[in-house]
Amino acid sequence: MSSVAGTPVAPRPSAWSRFRGWLSNPWGRPRFLPLVTWGYVVWSIVPVLIAVQFSFNATRSRTAWQGFSTRWYWGDPVDSVWHDPTLRNALVQSLKLAVADVVIATPIGVLLAIGLARWHGRGSGSSNFLMLFPLVTPEIVMGVALLLVFTEVFTFVGTGTTAQILGHVTFSISFVVVIVRGRLFSIGRQYEEAAADLGASPTVALARVLLPLLMPAIVASAAVVFAISLDDFVISQWLSKGGETDTVPVKIYSATRAAPLPSTNAIATIMMLLTLASVTLGFLVWRAFTRGERRAGQSVVKDMGALEI
Amino acid sequence: MARGEIRLIGLTKRFAEVTAVDHIDLDVAPGKFFSLLGPSGCGKTTTLRMIAGFEQPSEGRILLDGTDVAYTPAHKRNVNTVFQNYALFPHLDVFDNVAFGLRRAKRPKSEVRQRALQALELVQLGGLEKRKPSQLSGGQQQRVALARALVLNPSVLLLDEPLGALDAKLRKTLQIELKTLQREVGITFIYVTHDQEEALTMSDRLAVMNGGKVEQIGAPQGVYEDPETLFVADFLGVSNLMDATAQGARDGRCRVRADTFELTAGSGAIDVTGPAKIVIRPERIELESREAASGPNRLPGMVERLVYVGSAVQVIVRVATGEALQVLVPNTGKALPYEQGTPVQVHLPVEALRVLAVDEAGEPGPAEEAALAEASGRD
Repeated sequence: MSSVAGTPVAPRPSAWSRFRGWLSNPWGRPRFLPLVTWGYVVWSIVPVLIAVQFSFNATRSRTAWQGFSTRWYWGDPVDSVWHDPTLRNALVQSLKLAVADVVIATPIGVLLAIGLARWHGRGSGSSNFLMLFPLVTPEIVMGVALLLVFTEVFTFVGTGTTAQILGHVTFSISFVVVIVRGRLFSIGRQYEEAAADLGASPTVALARVLLPLLMPAIVASAAVVFAISLDDFVISQWLSKGGETDTVPVKIYSATRAAPLPSTNAIATIMMLLTLASVTLGFLVWRAFTRGERRAGQSVVKDMGALEI
Repeated sequence: MARGEIRLIGLTKRFAEVTAVDHIDLDVAPGKFFSLLGPSGCGKTTTLRMIAGFEQPSEGRILLDGTDVAYTPAHKRNVNTVFQNYALFPHLDVFDNVAFGLRRAKRPKSEVRQRALQALELVQLGGLEKRKPSQLSGGQQQRVALARALVLNPSVLLLDEPLGALDAKLRKTLQIELKTLQREVGITFIYVTHDQEEALTMSDRLAVMNGGKVEQIGAPQGVYEDPETLFVADFLGVSNLMDATAQGARDGRCRVRADTFELTAGSGAIDVTGPAKIVIRPERIELESREAASGPNRLPGMVERLVYVGSAVQVIVRVATGEALQVLVPNTGKALPYEQGTPVQVHLPVEALRVLAVDEAGEPGPAEEAALAEASGRD
């Protein structure tokens, strides 16, 4: 006691400062940033989970939970997704557009990406920039523009499935280009040069070396195109002929404004799962293809960032 | 028939802003190990890439066994390249990587198999043909790259700093292996490197490049012992450079004045007069105590620093002209009778002292060099 008599006793830190220390101790685990992250995750996911929950409601209510049932998926003979022809049509139409979009937009986008990445000359810079245009143009503007073009200029297109596919392809190509070009830049020209060095003509080099190396990006962009096509509302709506050519988002929109049933939630849930599945698939394929590259510690995986648009 | 003779005539490559390679002329005899040596951005890689066909020359000719191939696309030239980072196809296994070129040449299946396996044996990689490049170490990848290029029996093999990514020990081993391999297969090797030691130990002949031009061509010993330009003297090994005024030749030697001291230089540009540089290698300077000896070509000085480097001791001597000279004293196990501040005298033997003209053009500034490196995309 006597030896410490002269030293002032440090005051016990207040609860507030201890809390702040816990939150932002620079030597400890980070706590503040995860808090923000989890806050956002909960905020954005809870409404979706509630919507999904009510797709399993046993009654017609979308707000009062009355027990679990799958009647809105297939049980109800009239109003379930399976039995209501308008909902089923919408689902078929959405899938039709998405598949057509993938099949058309992916190859065009890949070729464009290769062309843009390998073309260094007058106009290449502005072309590269213009490629981003569909990404930044408000979709509503693009929708109106396409509608005008298809009904006033290229009248043989009109509205309906063909117009919708053309619309989806128009904005999807940019996504493919951005993803594939990222990969192209990160793999560089060395493999093509090596192929040429070993006697491969440019066509053979493309088929035997470049395309296999681009495969993860191609699959990833196909998945993204599939997902954004399923999700699209504005362009599908503008170019729809009504009735059979309404896609799921369009259908959900009109149903919600009229007399919504939990079947709307059910079809929305199906859409969400399809989107999720396609993006997950793309991600897994990417991972599988690039596993060796990551193990070798090469910088080829930098372009992973391109996936998160 | 001479296979693998390369002649470059007035070869030039201009990128938008800079001239990466500036009218170089070069003859490489068949079956030789020839190095292009120089600092970053000196144009050595661009030269190699033009020979390979990845860059189109702005001017000049590339004669491969007498035929001008300057405008032949890369895939139709009988030269193969070992790339700096190997560029092994990551989606193919080792065997398919090596067989790639043979398959493009449409060789029959049995021949493809036999030659690819033979090439892998040659680089001591037998049994690894099913591995993916990512499952190999750096040294093994390097060997695959070598096998992939050699399997096609090229007239000329181009190597772009192939050992650059490896650690020091492995580099040494592979240097010897590469040289042995080159003798065995008898193919002309053109080897690009910025590592002067590598170039000196492996080459039959080498060209020192700087600023897109060839500064000197010769056998390693000749270039090291008799550098013709200041750049070569400075770039190859360590040289002591001192300002001096040359006063012309007499008896095949050059009298120079450094500060107030009269010296005699026995080699170099002995006819030069006016401002010049005198050059001497650290291992050729003799360190003496002030009382020990007197005679010509001696400068008084003071030991400034001793640096122990293992096999030798590096002594920095501040001489009376004001310049600091590096002297290399072999480590014989005995302690040196010098310490910081000891007055000494350096003897610059006449035959070891070289006089060189100061080049007017000068060396490229850092900005220009950076632009060059960027324009050529590597180097």
